[in-house]
Formats: sequence, C-alpha cells, structure tokens
Amino acid sequence: MGQKGLSGMDAPVQTDPEEQFGVAVVRRLGAGFWIAASWIVVMVAAAVLAPWLPIADPNETGVGGRMDGPGWSNWFGTDSNGRDMFSRTIWGARVSLIVGFFSILLGICVGGTLGMIAGYFRGIVDRVISFSVFVLLAFPALVLALLVIGLAGQTLPIVTMTLGILAIAPIARLSRATTLAYSEREFVAAARVLGATDRRIMIRELLPNVLIPMGALTLLGMAITIVVEGGLAFLGLSVEEGFSWGKMIVLGSSPRTLREGPWVAMFPIGAMFMTVLALNFAGDRLREYFDVRELGIGVG
Amino acid sequence: MIVLARRLVQLVAVVLAATFLTFTAMNTLGDPLFNVVGFVAAVDCDAVEAGEIEDISGQGGTSLGDCAVVAEAREEFHLNEPLPIRYGRWVGDLIRGDFGTSFKNRMPVSTVLADRLPKSLLLMGMAEVFAVALSVPWALAAAYRANRAMDRASTIGAFGMLALPNFALGVILFYFFVVKWQIFPSRFEDDNLAVRLKSLVLPALTLGMPLAATYFRLLRTDLITTLQEDFVVMAKAKGLSNRWIMFRHALRPSMFSLVTVFGLNTAALIGGALIVEQIFSIPGLGRALVEASIRDDYPVVLGATVVIATGFVAINFAVDLVYSYLDPRVRRES
Repeated sequence: MGQKGLSGMDAPVQTDPEEQFGVAVVRRLGAGFWIAASWIVVMVAAAVLAPWLPIADPNETGVGGRMDGPGWSNWFGTDSNGRDMFSRTIWGARVSLIVGFFSILLGICVGGTLGMIAGYFRGIVDRVISFSVFVLLAFPALVLALLVIGLAGQTLPIVTMTLGILAIAPIARLSRATTLAYSEREFVAAARVLGATDRRIMIRELLPNVLIPMGALTLLGMAITIVVEGGLAFLGLSVEEGFSWGKMIVLGSSPRTLREGPWVAMFPIGAMFMTVLALNFAGDRLREYFDVRELGIGVG
Repeated sequence: MIVLARRLVQLVAVVLAATFLTFTAMNTLGDPLFNVVGFVAAVDCDAVEAGEIEDISGQGGTSLGDCAVVAEAREEFHLNEPLPIRYGRWVGDLIRGDFGTSFKNRMPVSTVLADRLPKSLLLMGMAEVFAVALSVPWALAAAYRANRAMDRASTIGAFGMLALPNFALGVILFYFFVVKWQIFPSRFEDDNLAVRLKSLVLPALTLGMPLAATYFRLLRTDLITTLQEDFVVMAKAKGLSNRWIMFRHALRPSMFSLVTVFGLNTAALIGGALIVEQIFSIPGLGRALVEASIRDDYPVVLGATVVIATGFVAINFAVDLVYSYLDPRVRRES
C-alpha cells in the first residue's frame, strides 16, 4: 500500500476535472461518441432499408437447415424453422426502433409541453399539472400497459402509444424543472419588459433552451423504451404481427431452443445490448457537452 | 411522533390514489364479469328476461339458464352497483382487514398475498445482498486508486452492465447455469429453505448485478468527492492508515445517494421483479400481479397495489432514519 495509495485524494490536482466528475469542461464529444453515433446510424439505416437489402426474407422458412449454427451462408445461424437469424435481427430492429423512437417522441411532445406550461405559468396551472404527473407516476405502470395493450390490441401503434404515455410523467417533470430555472433568467425578464407575449417568450426564448436537454433525453429515453418493449414481450404483450428484438429473445429463450441453438436468443440480445449501449453513451456525451445538470428520468 | 403521523397520512393518500385509479381503470377498460362466468357475460340478459330473445347460443351462452349464473355472479361480486359505491365498499372492507376474494378460484386475496409475498421478499433481499456485497468493496477499491487502470476498467464495466437489459442478463445466466452446466434448477423449488435459496440464486443475480453497477457508480463518485475533504487530509496528516481512513472516515459520509437509490430500488423490487419471476418461473407477487391484470382480477391487483405502496412508503421512511444515522447534521435539522 504505502504512500502511493489514496490517489483519489490528490487526484484533482493531477487530472483534468472532466475525468474526475464526469462533467465536461473541455467541450469535445470524443471518439467514443462518434463510434456510438455511427452504430446508431448503421442500425437505423439497416432497419429503414431492410426491404431492399440483399438479405433473406425473415419469414421464409427453410432458408437454411433447422438450427444451423452461425456460418458463411447464414451469418447468425437459423432458428428451428430454418429462418435466417441475420435477416430477422435486422427486421426486428425495425419494430424495436420504431417503438423506441415514436414513443419517446410522443412523451416529449406531450410531457415537454405540459412541463413547460407548468413551469412557466406556475400557480394553479402548475399545481393541476404537477398533481396529474404525480398520479401518473404513482399509478402502477404495468397495470396500465396490460390493460391498454390487452384491450386495444397488440398492434404497433398501440404498443408505441402506451409506452409514450408512460414516458409523459418523467419527461414533464424534467421539462418543468428546466423551464423553472430558465424563467428566472435575465433574458426572459428582458423579453417581458420589451413587451413580448407569453407565447412568444415560451416559443422563442424558453423552447430552444429546454430542447437541448430534451435532445440528449431522446437518446437516453429511446434506450429505455426499447428495453421496456422487450420487457413487455416477456409478458406476452409485444406486437402481435411482426417481431421486435424483445419478442425474438423470448422466442429464443425457451430451455429447448437455448439447448439446441443458443444463437437464436444471443444475436438479438447482442443487437439490443449494442444499441442500448450506443444510445446511452451518445446521450450521456451529448448531455455533458451541453453542460446540463444531472436529472434522472427513471422510466420503467 | 409528528413524523410518523405525517408518514401515515402520506401512506393513506398514496394507497387511495393508486387503488382508486386501478379500480376505475380495471372496471371501465376491462370486464371483470367476463372472467368470472366466461363468454356468457356478453349476453343481453335484460332482453332475455323480456322474452325478446329465445335462443342465446349465438351470443356466447349455451342455455337460457346461463342468465341466472350471470345474475348470481353480479350479485356475489356486487358488479351491478355503481363504481364509487363499489370502491367505497372495497375501502371499507380493507379497513376491517378484508382484502376481498379473487375471481379466479374464489380464494381470499389475503391468502394469495401471504403465499406470494414471502417469495418476492426473499428474492428482493437476496438481490440487494448481492448488489451491496459486490458494489461496496468494488467502489472502495476503485475510488482508492481513482483514474488508474482498475478504476477505468470498472467504470466502463459498470456502464456496459447498465446497458444489458434485465431479461437479457436473465436469459444469458439461464443459458449457462441451467441449460449448459446444469448447476441450478430450471424452475422454483420449494421443498426446504436451502433448496429455495438455491433456486433463487440466479434470479437474485439477474436483479442484483445491474443494481450493483448503479450502486458502484454512485458510491465511487461520492467517495472521490469525500476523499478531497479537509478531514481526510487531516486524518492522513495524523498518520492514520489508508485502510482506516477509507472505512471509518470516508465511507459513511459518502453513502447518502447510495442509501436513497437503495431505498427506491428495494421498494420497486417488492412487486416489480415480474419479468425475472417470469423467466425463472417464481410464483412471486409480480407474477400474481401480471396474471391478475390479464384476467381483470382486480381484487388481487388492488391487494398487491396496497402491499407495494405500503412497502414503498415504509422503505422511504426507513431511508430517512438511516440518513440521520449517517449524518448527525440531518438529525438536528429535523
């Protein structure tokens, strides 16, 4: 041990603060961000272009043998029906990414607006919105998801909308907190003195400032919604037609399939892991880059 | 005493809000009657009584006598009364300690809860024990030599761990330890305590490892901040050993965020381990909640909600008590 120990104690003198506290002082995104961003771009491009890519039909059985291991003809192997897992993983990305992106978009549009209104006008409006948000948070999310999806049907729009509704409350909280902080700033007071209307102040002065943390949140939130969709799949609540990564993992995780062909579950797991990792990393870097204080969103 | 009273009010408010919403949603969005009597719930019995319909087989019923069954079930579960009155009745029963009857097999909800809750609590306890046992020494070691190779590798490892969804980790562990090496049983076994503990090891690890990564990140950051405080420099100047400084001086004041998040997570685990319970076939509270939600068996859902909300408030109260133990300044303020 000796005197070289406890380096955490002397650390701030010898290392730059960015490394110490995870707060970006030097403004650069770093190579890691660009790697993560490239992965996301490749994934999105593959998902969008899936119908035109030279890959097997994901639903065509007998492309390879039954439960062929990963190899040259089927990169990710085949499942028990001889369907090509590489093609299925790309097609699964479509559903997972659509659910992830559009549900968080819905959450930001509704929750962000509600939060801004509450944070800007305060008073009774704030109290009503804040109470609704609290109630939404206290409501068992699963019960809501089970009821809505079970009743309205397991279609892509319904699953997306349900996850979007679940995202509203935490996003509204973040947006309200950010708006509260900015409403106190001089530029808002100046705009008001100059005679700007509430609407103009909210759109021209506050919105750009609130949107920046929201941008990082979109990436982090997308990671969460993709995972939650996978969780719903384990409860039998994923989309009925087509398949997401979550549904693929469920299909591949029965003891028998795992014994005969672990790749059926492992490749979708890998794809989901890499994507969530990239979204988390890129989102974190963006948040640090724009120097926003740490605010947990805690969905799911 | 005042603190305790305030907590009780909070508990009642949270339980009422959550159960009222659940009750309303389950009764308006779903049809509880359907799950008691089956398809015959769709039959328009008023029309049958009026003699407008002679044959109800096309409507889901098989004989005219089915309407009596429907009416009986409506009567038994008070389904023909307006919603607010039924909710009031449920609250009244709850105050007397009666959780109601499950629609599934007419078992008392309290029996269902008493059967499911201990398994969930055991799982929760094991998961938290794993998480703390892993994260605290790990964070101490990393903060001790901040920014060295070990610390950097741990930070990256924790970040990666958090990107691995719970169910994915569960499937991976299941594959290696159950399917491939056959070390652990594939489903929950309940013969005796040792067997029960053994079949909970994998699910507890599945829940505990991401938690450990969360705790590690929090504790490491806080430890590094604490290690720059004057009292640590002082302790070092006094010639105290590094080990003594780490454990006796630095650890305790660094545990605030850890304790907060620990409380939140523990509360969430009471009924929130449903996906892991599903993968490892553990008949816990989370699975009861899922099964009951699918069947619109709202007495069970409401009972579980009460238990979860109570646990949530109780654990948060415990966390507040721990705060004042950790830092005497908190004690004086409150």
